[in-house]
Amino acid sequence: MRAQSIHRSQLFAGFVVLAWLGLINVSHAIPAFARQTGQACVACHVSFPELTPYGRMFKLSGYTIGTRQDLPLALMAQFGVTHVRNNRDDQGQKIVPKTDKPVLSAASVFAGGKLTDNIGGWIQWTFNNLAGNGDVGHSGIDNTDLRIVGSSDNPDSTDLRWLYGLTVNNNPTVQDVWNSTPAFGFPFTTPPNGIGAAAATMLDGQLGQQVAGVGGYVYWKRSVYFELSGYQTADGFFSPLRAGQDIQTPGGVHRLSGVDPYWRLAYNHEWGANSLMLGTYGAMLRLYPDNTMPFTSTDHFTDIAIDAQFQHISQAHTYTFQYTRIHEYQDYRVSFPATLAGAPIGGGPTPANAHDTLITDKLKGTYYFDRKYGATLALVRTHGTPDAGLYAPGSVGGSANGKPDTQGYILELDYLPEQNLRLMLQYYGYGKFNGARSNYDGVGRPASDNNTLFANIWLVY
Amino acid sequence: MMRMGLCLQMIGALLIGLIAAPAAAKGASSVSASNDVAIKLATQVCSSCHGPGGNSVSPTFPKLAGQQEAYLVAQIQAFKSGQRNEQEAHDYMLGMTTLIDDDTAAALGRYYAKQPVPMGIPGNPAEVAAGKKVYEQGVAGSVVACASCHGAHAEGNGIFPRLADQHAAYIVRQLQVIQTNLRNSPVMHGIIKNLKPDDMRDVAAYLQSL
Repeated sequence: MRAQSIHRSQLFAGFVVLAWLGLINVSHAIPAFARQTGQACVACHVSFPELTPYGRMFKLSGYTIGTRQDLPLALMAQFGVTHVRNNRDDQGQKIVPKTDKPVLSAASVFAGGKLTDNIGGWIQWTFNNLAGNGDVGHSGIDNTDLRIVGSSDNPDSTDLRWLYGLTVNNNPTVQDVWNSTPAFGFPFTTPPNGIGAAAATMLDGQLGQQVAGVGGYVYWKRSVYFELSGYQTADGFFSPLRAGQDIQTPGGVHRLSGVDPYWRLAYNHEWGANSLMLGTYGAMLRLYPDNTMPFTSTDHFTDIAIDAQFQHISQAHTYTFQYTRIHEYQDYRVSFPATLAGAPIGGGPTPANAHDTLITDKLKGTYYFDRKYGATLALVRTHGTPDAGLYAPGSVGGSANGKPDTQGYILELDYLPEQNLRLMLQYYGYGKFNGARSNYDGVGRPASDNNTLFANIWLVY
Repeated sequence: MMRMGLCLQMIGALLIGLIAAPAAAKGASSVSASNDVAIKLATQVCSSCHGPGGNSVSPTFPKLAGQQEAYLVAQIQAFKSGQRNEQEAHDYMLGMTTLIDDDTAAALGRYYAKQPVPMGIPGNPAEVAAGKKVYEQGVAGSVVACASCHGAHAEGNGIFPRLADQHAAYIVRQLQVIQTNLRNSPVMHGIIKNLKPDDMRDVAAYLQSL
């Protein structure tokens, strides 16, 4: 099974590389999309990866604006220093590796852009230098979005009326064009060796690079966007979409049963230098309790989210706001009775309740001067039903009171001396972590011990 | 559900399979064909910033509806050649215009010139009145009347652009970059080199109101 998966991955990679190489002649050393359009990064990005209105149209147009490039590749690398306020657990052991010294955290290669007037996309392959316990590097597929698009004009030939397309991707919301949704929501990059909270909703990054989504979308008069996609675990033909990811550890990743629906509806309005979006998105997911046992019955998770975005983009002053709330209803129709009977399913969850809710809130505001000097403040919160079976006490990673609640703020300062280079300072301040402000893990650790400072150099080329 | 999965796999196969397909070569040289290319460009690309039919909403991007055909073509060439070297020209237009051949540039000029012009936006009455005076009479001893080249109603003439109903912020920005020679326009530079910021603001408010 594993060998077959690798074989298919290699075949797919070879296929894609050949497809691109068949089209190449010469190379230019700038990011792929900018090279394709000849435009600067700021045409599409407030600052990468947050999109401008034009950037949204570029993405919805299947990345097909401009001239197809002979070698549509781009590179990305991040070098940073992470400092955790208290990186020792109650036994005095170091919690996360390689803090307080500069490390190459990750590097990616992108193949992306236009293939024909109606087909485009991008594939990201990432080398994570701090994989596992931080001692070894590991590479695998990252975000991927491939599209076929079409459009029709207004009768007076002044504007697009319908813009429509198909997308194949490997992360719910990676295909979305508003940065209020999780895949390209703030923070745009995180410390590679920070301390993670116990709970997150499924659409908040829990399925990335594990699933294959195939969906259709329409965008009417640059106003109303609707998308319907089906997500399934990236098996078989789709296995390259999770190439290099660990799928063998019981309970390690989430595995879907069948094809599960994802929807997205958004209203967009632009006036003056402003744009506003109000929207909703969600998914109904059937999850195997243990990802290595895809023959059991499934738990059912339903995520329903609302989101909003406002942007003001002008010559000197740019400010943007994003908000989303994801409400997740967790129906442990398999895991709960199994746990109750004393026979949990493999490495799956052991809930103390038949049903739980989990809510994600994210609110972020950004200001940029001259598109070079930026500051962002985000308030983030995850909270929900106490469940001692899911959130048990344990040093650093556990919860003494069985609550999933984590809340805090992220402050980020950015300086972009060049449009493709971001120097950033990021600070995570926690008011609550895994359920409490003080002694949250049951062995005396306060939430603020997890406060993290991250200085990062982020280069795309 | 298996059928649905199979269906999605087939769609995915179609999409990924098509990635390898060579793009169809195409060329067009007739005026009609150029018009078609221009309409496609205008509706699918230009309109994202310059608005439907050239009626942009963002003041970063100029309104093109009803603009003088000769001026539009000249500006496309100026972007391509680097004569317009202000930051926005470099960031947004340099790359886009290098993809536009001469026939398509001419067709884009024709397309936008015939688009219905938008309504003006009323501004501060005092600024509009002061701007009207600058536009029609110039500034005594330093700046000649704008109307002498741009027309009594700011409708433009040939390579002199239409200024009526243009975004005020865009006009101010262009006056600044011409004054500082970031945008290479020797004649205009000579005329406005002594134009003061308040006069720029006023004349822009007047023009936006037309």
